[in-house]
Amino acid sequence: MKTTRREIMMFAGGSAVGVLFTPAPWRLITDTALWSENWPGIPVPARGEIRARYTNCSLCPAGCAVRARCVGDQPVALAGVAGHPLSHGALCPFGLAGHHLPYLPSRVKQGPVKEAAAAVADGIAKCGPAEYIVTLDLRPARTASWTYRRAMAAIKNGRYVTPSYDPPVAVDFAKARTPSSDRSAAVDLAKAPTHPSDAWMAADLTRARTPSSDAWMAVDLTRARTPSSDGSAAVHLAKAPTPSSNAWMAADLTKARTPSSDRSAAVDLAKAPAHSSDAWVAVDLARARTPSSDASVAVDLTKARTVLSLGVALLDGWGTPGNVIAARPGFRLIQAEAVESRTASMADWWLRIRPGSEDALAQGLAGTLTRAAAAEATGLAESEIAALAAELKDNGPVLVLGSSRLESTGRTIVTRRETPVPAEWRKAAPVTGLASLPDGSIRVLIIDESTPGAYLPWKAIEKKLVADNPVVVALAWSREGYGRHAQYVLPVGVYPEVAGDIPPAIDSVAATFRISTPLVAAPGGCVKPEEFIAGAAGLPLTDTLHERADAIHKTGRGTLFTYADAKSAALKDISAEDFWKALNAGGCWIDTPDDKAAVARLAPTVAQPRSSEESELPLAVVLSQELTPASPILSKLYQESNLRLGPNRVALPPSSGLEDGTQATLQTVLGKCAVQVTLDAGVPAGLVRVSASPAILDLCADGARAKVVRA
Amino acid sequence: MTLRGKIPFLAGLAVALGAGWVGFPHAIYRSRPQPVDFSHKVHADKAGTKCEDCHSFREDGTFAGLPTVDKCAGCHAAPMGATVAEKNFIDQYVTPNREPRWAVYARQPTNVSFSHIAHVKRANLTCESCHGDTGSSSTLRPYQADRISGYSRDIWKVQTTQAGKPMAHGMKMADCVECHRRKGLEHSCLDCHK
Repeated sequence: MKTTRREIMMFAGGSAVGVLFTPAPWRLITDTALWSENWPGIPVPARGEIRARYTNCSLCPAGCAVRARCVGDQPVALAGVAGHPLSHGALCPFGLAGHHLPYLPSRVKQGPVKEAAAAVADGIAKCGPAEYIVTLDLRPARTASWTYRRAMAAIKNGRYVTPSYDPPVAVDFAKARTPSSDRSAAVDLAKAPTHPSDAWMAADLTRARTPSSDAWMAVDLTRARTPSSDGSAAVHLAKAPTPSSNAWMAADLTKARTPSSDRSAAVDLAKAPAHSSDAWVAVDLARARTPSSDASVAVDLTKARTVLSLGVALLDGWGTPGNVIAARPGFRLIQAEAVESRTASMADWWLRIRPGSEDALAQGLAGTLTRAAAAEATGLAESEIAALAAELKDNGPVLVLGSSRLESTGRTIVTRRETPVPAEWRKAAPVTGLASLPDGSIRVLIIDESTPGAYLPWKAIEKKLVADNPVVVALAWSREGYGRHAQYVLPVGVYPEVAGDIPPAIDSVAATFRISTPLVAAPGGCVKPEEFIAGAAGLPLTDTLHERADAIHKTGRGTLFTYADAKSAALKDISAEDFWKALNAGGCWIDTPDDKAAVARLAPTVAQPRSSEESELPLAVVLSQELTPASPILSKLYQESNLRLGPNRVALPPSSGLEDGTQATLQTVLGKCAVQVTLDAGVPAGLVRVSASPAILDLCADGARAKVVRA
Repeated sequence: MTLRGKIPFLAGLAVALGAGWVGFPHAIYRSRPQPVDFSHKVHADKAGTKCEDCHSFREDGTFAGLPTVDKCAGCHAAPMGATVAEKNFIDQYVTPNREPRWAVYARQPTNVSFSHIAHVKRANLTCESCHGDTGSSSTLRPYQADRISGYSRDIWKVQTTQAGKPMAHGMKMADCVECHRRKGLEHSCLDCHK
């Protein structure tokens, strides 16, 4: 029998049809997918006896305590530490997967270290009188930050810059007398209580009402000279002429120059006792700056019965997750926000306001704007605003987050002592803002991007660089941030590869000191930012964490909580050596609560007027999350599902006219970048929700205006 | 087209179905024998040991899994009986203090996080709930692993070849899901998956 070509084709066709009705092709597809999970380069957890090691998560300022299950030297799973007085055993999804970060595909593992060091040295040598050597610290207030400040003090024209130069200022309003209606922006200094020596206040009269035309004493700080060794360019009211009974004192600090000490541009209230009962100073915190590193502000959630959050992600990244969750049953949460964020969805009452109308709502509640005007601005009904006002009045103490137009009540916002540092470290460069540096003045810029923190748009930095060959060095573990713009990208370790301390979180009412102890070793080519910057300045290399631990131990204050046994012990009962060992083996020092901590309030960021060009853009930008690196391995949750927007993705409402997955361009007044569109019915019309990736942060901040067009 | 004309098509169909349903489920796995001819039944019946005597929990609650040869040497320092298997075990593993390279039928892939103590101590599941009659087996069957994914056949099986047959034991994801669903404990992917 002869087999024809037709019969062979028929046989093949029958086989092809038949095989589809067997498990073979479907099984091969899934098997191949599983096989791809074990491709080379994908880490495989070790198997063997498990032991526990302890550290603190440095991915965000919360610094939650971490118990790491390790097989040999490899961490295979992370969890919280039960009984921890601050983190309460909780760990967020980022922290749970923190041990995956060393495997980030975008990691930088090699870099031109010698060339960068030579370029920095050359830049320092060539630095002109009107030029600066700048260290930009994205996570200030660490021990490493003090090294940077000391290094910048050791370099001629050195400047230490942080992105957020508008942190809270320590102001005691507890006993401030409410003035009469025509003295509304005033605070009575005569009745001001004795402030702790580290409580400073920046005073700005630019918005103060003039109570009378002839009873003012203006202090022009542009001509101020250094009055004392510890408060250069500050105005000591004690040395000011004693005003008469009707005299008013006005201090305009907006023109103050940044002095050398960390108590810059400040008015020392502690030295202002000599005023008569009628001596008033007008204080406007709207433009206040933090004058001192040793007076910061903390939020005490346990004291609040009602929390009004004006767009603050209270339940999604703000503060210490465990601490917020522990305090949550004690307060009623009212969230005023344009989108149904995770905090809004879990709030007791979500007020869906128009984008950017938080300030109008606060003014409406404070009475500086009429209810009708506030209702028109926010899109809320007048009755809703009235109901909210009544609730804030009846259900105090009230904590207001996101605005200082409306003051918090009770002791919900207080000052917090600084974590002690060795006395010799105080000879350090002051904290300055980038805006205080003239355009075209930075000769050398070193950016410490080793820990996630705030982000300054590159455009704002770029204009500050000198025109001819500025040196920009990024100390980063990824090229996706400032590494895109720097001449030199030097690799650094990523959590949990590096040792460093974590400053106290915003919701920690006491100072803390905890070390993120490395769980794994950093790759061989990595640089330690502290060593690089100290080396550039010629500072001797010392174990700064150990020195700071010793300085804390000398105070004898506070308690040490150790993670392995979940016990607290008084610091005075522990030797310095044991204290240091405990900190490295999983421990947290917590300062004694400051009974005299002053009530404070948060200073807002001043909204810059929007240009007409920006106002014409149709969409308001809402940032979806903090700039925290996500696990490269939990791809289903983060990279693929868009439960959290992936890098360079934007979420638009279905009515936007674009399709899901469309390649598009995000445009703002600062530029444009390529993005991919995700349609989300939870995003209202007129908004675009964007991921907080560096490329997008270079273009826009929360509340900016933007346009998304098909690419 | 006549019936004769359809014969090649039907033949191809039959061959593909046969290969797919009978040949493929066997061809997809590779087998390897266990290093030691071990009898759970002998240890349970004659020595009176229980599962947890060898497959124990550590002090911190983690599951130690397979016993090390040190544990075996506690009884088998010298041959117990005259079988060839016993002699081989003593000569090849106990005397040189070398660990047998056991192939674990129940080894879950690395993307699964399974806690023995949660299931044994908290949920009070018996070993047989998941491991079936392994504890009374007289010999160790060959270990079979998927040629492509590398997964053990016990956790990643071609279900269709077992159609209609009751499952002897369950260590596949479907079995976990079914049990969790039955007990109202079906919460999220991250309960089990890393």
